[in-house]
Amino acid sequence: MIGFDAILASFAAALHYESIVIILGGVLLGYVVGVIPGLNRAVAIAIAIPLTFYMSPYAAIAFLIGLSKGTAAGSAVSAILLNTPGEPSSAATCLDGYPMARDGKPRKALKVGLLASVIGDLLATLLLIVVVIPFASVALKFGPYELAAILIFALVFIAAMAGGSFLKGLAAGGMGIILGTVGLDPETGAARLTFGYAELMEGVPILPLVIGTLALAEMFVQLDEYRRNKGASVIKLSHDKADDLSYQEFKGTLPTILKSTGVGAFVGALPGLGPSVGAFMAYGLAKRSAKDPDSFGKGNPNGIAAAEASDNAVIPASYIPLFGLGIPGSVSAALLVGAFMIHGIQVGPLMLRDHPEMLFTLFSGMIVASLLMLAVGWYGLRIFARVTSVPPHIVIAVVIFLCLAGIQVQGYGTFGLITVFVFAIFGYFLKKFDYSFVTFLVAFIVTPMLEMNLRQSVILSGGEIGILLERPIALAFVILTVVMVLHLGWSSYRRRMQARFKARAGR
Amino acid sequence: MKMKLLTTAILSSAMAFGMAGAAQADEFPTKPLTLVVGFGAGGSTDIQARVLANVLEEELGQPVNVVNQPGAGGGVALARLANNTDEGYTFVFGTSMTITFGPLSTETTYQLDDFRYVAGVTLGQSAMVTGEDREFGDTWEGLIEYARENPGTSYATQTALDRMIIEYIARQEGLELRIVPTAGGAGMAPLILSGDVDFGYSGGTHSGYADSGEMPVLLSLAEDRLVAFPDAPTVQEAGYDLDTSDFRVVVVPKNTPDAHVERLAEALEAATQDERFIEITEERILMPVHFIGEEEATEMLHAQSESYRQLLKAMGGVPDDE
Amino acid sequence: MTDMPRKNFWSGVGVAAVAAFLLAWVIPTFGGRGFAIGMPPKALATLGAWLMLGCAGLLILVSAIALKRAREPFFALPAAGHLWHQTWPFLYVLGFILLIDRFPLTWVAPLLIGGLLLLLGERRWHVVLLTATIPAAGLYGLTAHLMRIGVV
Repeated sequence: MIGFDAILASFAAALHYESIVIILGGVLLGYVVGVIPGLNRAVAIAIAIPLTFYMSPYAAIAFLIGLSKGTAAGSAVSAILLNTPGEPSSAATCLDGYPMARDGKPRKALKVGLLASVIGDLLATLLLIVVVIPFASVALKFGPYELAAILIFALVFIAAMAGGSFLKGLAAGGMGIILGTVGLDPETGAARLTFGYAELMEGVPILPLVIGTLALAEMFVQLDEYRRNKGASVIKLSHDKADDLSYQEFKGTLPTILKSTGVGAFVGALPGLGPSVGAFMAYGLAKRSAKDPDSFGKGNPNGIAAAEASDNAVIPASYIPLFGLGIPGSVSAALLVGAFMIHGIQVGPLMLRDHPEMLFTLFSGMIVASLLMLAVGWYGLRIFARVTSVPPHIVIAVVIFLCLAGIQVQGYGTFGLITVFVFAIFGYFLKKFDYSFVTFLVAFIVTPMLEMNLRQSVILSGGEIGILLERPIALAFVILTVVMVLHLGWSSYRRRMQARFKARAGR
Repeated sequence: MKMKLLTTAILSSAMAFGMAGAAQADEFPTKPLTLVVGFGAGGSTDIQARVLANVLEEELGQPVNVVNQPGAGGGVALARLANNTDEGYTFVFGTSMTITFGPLSTETTYQLDDFRYVAGVTLGQSAMVTGEDREFGDTWEGLIEYARENPGTSYATQTALDRMIIEYIARQEGLELRIVPTAGGAGMAPLILSGDVDFGYSGGTHSGYADSGEMPVLLSLAEDRLVAFPDAPTVQEAGYDLDTSDFRVVVVPKNTPDAHVERLAEALEAATQDERFIEITEERILMPVHFIGEEEATEMLHAQSESYRQLLKAMGGVPDDE
Repeated sequence: MTDMPRKNFWSGVGVAAVAAFLLAWVIPTFGGRGFAIGMPPKALATLGAWLMLGCAGLLILVSAIALKRAREPFFALPAAGHLWHQTWPFLYVLGFILLIDRFPLTWVAPLLIGGLLLLLGERRWHVVLLTATIPAAGLYGLTAHLMRIGVV
């Protein structure tokens, strides 16, 4: 087995100035790419893999790790400042980050996001180092039954937490489910709701959908407000003198960050769930356990902290099944497998035996990248926070361009542009009529995974529900879901009765 | 001001057209190419494609970008390619099975004749796999015996083709199987490793477990026994009259000019002799590199398509679409 | 706040109409055929549509009662000018999407940004010019040279 010396040596390698420069290069490139709406981690890594071909294996991996962290930080910046998530998983960051930035506190929002993401990332990396080999096989206990149960739980939980009218939220969720089933049926291969478009065979493309409903729709809403109040800007852009994060405020978000890191690490360790589910689940949990759940969605720093910590904790955690079992738990992990393979290293349980130095160099590289991201982000946010002091009509025009450009660069073509536009109209109505787009998005993201796992469960069990008794984890989540639904129903009934009582007393 | 903008617009669009015109006269390729992979990032097809893209980039002198368009066992990428008109700048790297079997099994918007097959590059190594320490051991006979005694033995499918193959085998052996859909190798592996599913189809994922022995191969679906698992019999050796071998092929739309196809084929042939490509394909993914020219590849695909048609007929139509 | 029940009422009607349309025609026609052991291909989409219909129905009921109680009229047409005011930005962007389809984005982008700024009342020509060109040039530099994507 590997000794302590080897671990130290690997850290020494990661701290060598050459590797720091390479990681820093990756972080910087990733940060810039991430800030542009629509360009995400997968694109950045896929583009960078050829670049790394000529580097030594270690330099290549270090560069890719830096890149992956950099895009995460950059993506949060555009989510907070422009309401345009660089990748779908940052959508949860928009919920509170954007209102806060609009409120004249962009720097505070960015700092909370950055600190939360670095802490989430670091803790999950440490977790990865400690548990990667001995406990990786626990992930195999989560088969289709468990995943289906967890996904149902997540769906109901997030829908309940989304806020606003419950009825309207559920209706939006229904639409998300319908759109989530678009594409080829996983079992029969039949085309569903594709209307003959090959582009829809793999489902409605997620990035145009997210950018359309969140970013472009928001720009239309703002255009509306801007012109209605011609001259007098309704968007508060005054730089708040007190726009900074105090230590007290940071301490206030720390419990949320820790909890959300836990959620993210759990979701990441299970192959197939991914960062979007993690970020929204953590957001829902933070809202649920907060004393003032109503302030969420209106610029609560805990909302940003939860989404960012969890989003970033998912990625290192998704390497747990990768290094433990050889199963890539996320797109980033899958891309990393490719990078390793190109450099002649077979990723999997044998890595610890055959290339232990590589594995530990990787871990130390991840930690170094995290810290560098903190430094880059800290200085970067000073520059980017100024975006909000730009007059709104300029921001609106440029963001509309960036939304379209992001789609075009991703290679979605005209079909993608039309999709963005259609979802911008859709999102505009959701906003105007106050329907929850969170429920909609989550339902859309979760439905395909849920459907696959449900089908597997139904077929494997032969349709017998009794199988749940043999799967305690799945059973626990099913019971949890039922309890939660009952609790929600009861508490909203009680609230309604109280409101009616008050109304009567007032009259 | 507006006038000025208008002039710029006209000028710039004229320039854009001018450039497009010049590009056609020049030697192919004059701009970056796109290599489309019909499977998700990180799978064996994807990894191979990324290495191939690198080597091609040197051969062709233009960047080759890799784009993943997963879905329908590679069918989505092909359906899109069929409508593509950029003359060989976009090409798909995929498995022959998507082309030969896809149009037969589902309503696809593409047919075998919609494409030109620039070249075959590697031979497939797909297999029926299982996990460690199963009741039936790690032999095909053991599995068949077990499945006969235990109706409801489960099988993880990834494609319509392996679904048909297993249904054909099940009919011949008199088995009653539960066939579970999974999304690619990354979706199949956890089910097999955890023991939730008894056995399944694997396109190349099993190669990653060749050394650790966690995913033994029961049956080779290639023409010969697998390089890394010489103990598992082939389909024919196990007594089934099936041709299930596949190879990885580069596909362009039918209307691609000859000169472009030739240039691509040249670059591909050079790539199959490139050390890095050979090393990664043969030693990491464990697939034999083998160059098959356009003519031969097209012939093989037509022959295979015909044999699948016969098989489907024998099975009484498409097994999963009644 | 006063027009919230009316908004709810009409959006409920809209959602219910969409859901009914989906249930009655779109899902049965395009939902996908084939027999599946696990779950019929249409199952989830149908479930989603019923969910929409049910929620919208309840929403209509609740908001109709609220409207009745408050003795507010069910109809309140927005002014025609307001409608146009809300529509043209969409048409503007749609028009440019059609342009992007024909011409490279980097050429169209300055027009898109500059045109919108002029429409929004920006008259300082240097502001228009700089805002129109810098983002497009930046994107061009990043994608075409750094990332080597040949689509913009």
